[in-house]
Amino acid sequence: MKRLFNNNLSKILIIFTILYLLKYVLPQSFMLEVIILSIYTMGCSFLIGRVGFVSFGQPAYLAIGAYGTAFYLYYFGTNPFVAILVGILLGLIINIITGAFFIRLNSSYYTLCNQAFCVVNFFIFQKALVKYTHGDNGLWFLSRIDPTPVIDLSRTEGVFIFAFLVAVGVWLLFNYLMNHSVFGATCLCVKCNEEKLRFLGYNVFNIKWLAFIIANTITSLAGALYSLYFGFVSAGITAPSKAIEPVAISMLGGAGTLFGPLVGSFIFIGLKDIASQVISYWELLVGLMLIIVMLAGEKGIVGSLEGFLSKLINKHGNNEGLQATNIEGEVGSE
Amino acid sequence: MNAHLIISAFVLGLSMSGVYFLLTVGLSLCYGLMRIISLDQFLYYSVGAYMTYTIVAVTGNFWLGLLAGILTTILIALFVEKIVYKRIYEKSVMFSMILSFGVNLMGVGLIKYIWGLEPKPVKAPIGGNLNIFGTEVPGYRIFVILLAALVYLAVCYFLNKTILGTAIRAGIDDAEKVEALGINIYKLFTLTFLLATSLSALAGAIHTPMVMVVPDMGMNIIAFAFMVVIIGGLGSIKGTLISSLLVGQVVSFGSLIWAPLADMAPFMIMIIILLIKPTGLYGSKYMKR
Repeated sequence: MKRLFNNNLSKILIIFTILYLLKYVLPQSFMLEVIILSIYTMGCSFLIGRVGFVSFGQPAYLAIGAYGTAFYLYYFGTNPFVAILVGILLGLIINIITGAFFIRLNSSYYTLCNQAFCVVNFFIFQKALVKYTHGDNGLWFLSRIDPTPVIDLSRTEGVFIFAFLVAVGVWLLFNYLMNHSVFGATCLCVKCNEEKLRFLGYNVFNIKWLAFIIANTITSLAGALYSLYFGFVSAGITAPSKAIEPVAISMLGGAGTLFGPLVGSFIFIGLKDIASQVISYWELLVGLMLIIVMLAGEKGIVGSLEGFLSKLINKHGNNEGLQATNIEGEVGSE
Repeated sequence: MNAHLIISAFVLGLSMSGVYFLLTVGLSLCYGLMRIISLDQFLYYSVGAYMTYTIVAVTGNFWLGLLAGILTTILIALFVEKIVYKRIYEKSVMFSMILSFGVNLMGVGLIKYIWGLEPKPVKAPIGGNLNIFGTEVPGYRIFVILLAALVYLAVCYFLNKTILGTAIRAGIDDAEKVEALGINIYKLFTLTFLLATSLSALAGAIHTPMVMVVPDMGMNIIAFAFMVVIIGGLGSIKGTLISSLLVGQVVSFGSLIWAPLADMAPFMIMIIILLIKPTGLYGSKYMKR
């Protein structure tokens, strides 16, 4: 049991099995939304918790991926796999360019610049490119998606399985990045003490740039999945008022933890579904939740739980695996 | 493009600069002294606008509405400062950004709950047009420009000539030394926060006749305010003034040339300036790493 808990790979396996089984209990659309939202939040959570960049402009990167997919499916082809690839590639290219600009700024300027970027993106998709994006009316292409072999992406079940597999892949990637690679360690060092990292001879710019590109390309991937799932993209996807959502979810789940985004998205969407029947102004609850989470301590649910659980499990027997949890605890309290 | 168009665009740009300046000078002051980025200023901007609308609808007096807006926001700000900011002054900037955005979001939800979603118009208190070089310009815009200039002078006077202002400026340079002198720095914090808040509320109130009052008005202006703050450099009043003048003109003339340019041109300028100087035009030296 102890070894099982302390091993991140088995944790991923267990949690995703539970997630898959939950499909039979909860509505599929709910689970699909949770999965895509958690992929979306993962990039943001990584940037906040592991690199120290808070971005209020994540919808911009989401929209780039979504529109890449949408443009391909609406104007050029019908193959959904190619469409997702186009979305990711477009996201990658734009992230490489914008990253080079934004990374040079320090954290507070980075946040404000990102929000401005998000608003500008909104105007571009809503007004400047209205000929191609149809503004707020959006692009509808659900009927243009071709049935594909093995995983049929033209049906919702296919999208669910595909998104599920992508999520497993993303989590394995971030597990490697966060816990098993030098790159992840240097990212954490950027957050804690950038000067020391520079002193050690690392190129801080490249590390930040790579972290930015990885995190935001994952965000674009989530955008591509969104547009495939809905078969529809409008300018509303990059609305600046939604910019706080990924930050709020990251903080709720625990920024920089591996499973924070999943838990956060699950609770967030659940709350949203329940609350929308009672109260029609969703901002009120998100704001309140954000204030409570931030004032209660920035560890979030997973951050607090992890420390508690590892203490509980490691109480009996020797201190095997204590080191790994110690590192996580430090990250949470950073 | 004829001269009439240019003059009216210039005046419109100046009046927008006035609103941007009033809104962002608070952000800048808060950052300078307390090292917080108070995004809830946009909430106070909306509340100021809504209170003005309500009082104008009830009594018909704009100036009473303006005063009520400022007083209400000061009350709200006192509450928020006590509940939220007192706990986070010691923590990093990131913390205050997320938290104040939460306050902002919650406020927007409350505004929607109280006043509803539909846009509300407010009539300008100063009617009539002014003749400038043969071009008719609405008198209210001139009033906004003059008011913003007056506020700039007043803030400068307050910071440079009064004891309290000197203490605030000293706090901006070195908060610990000010505390060592026996000045309660937290009282200065509260004072600065209230000053920033009342200026934001003033911005919201005087902006009402020029735009519709909608719940998302704070969100709509957020990007421009950020661009002004970033171009000018956080923590500098002079930088804020110059960049708000710049952004106002760029928005005004940009929309004259091609409508989407109004939103995109300031962003381009921001990127260019950040490329040359990552701390903005007059960014404080503490921003450099």
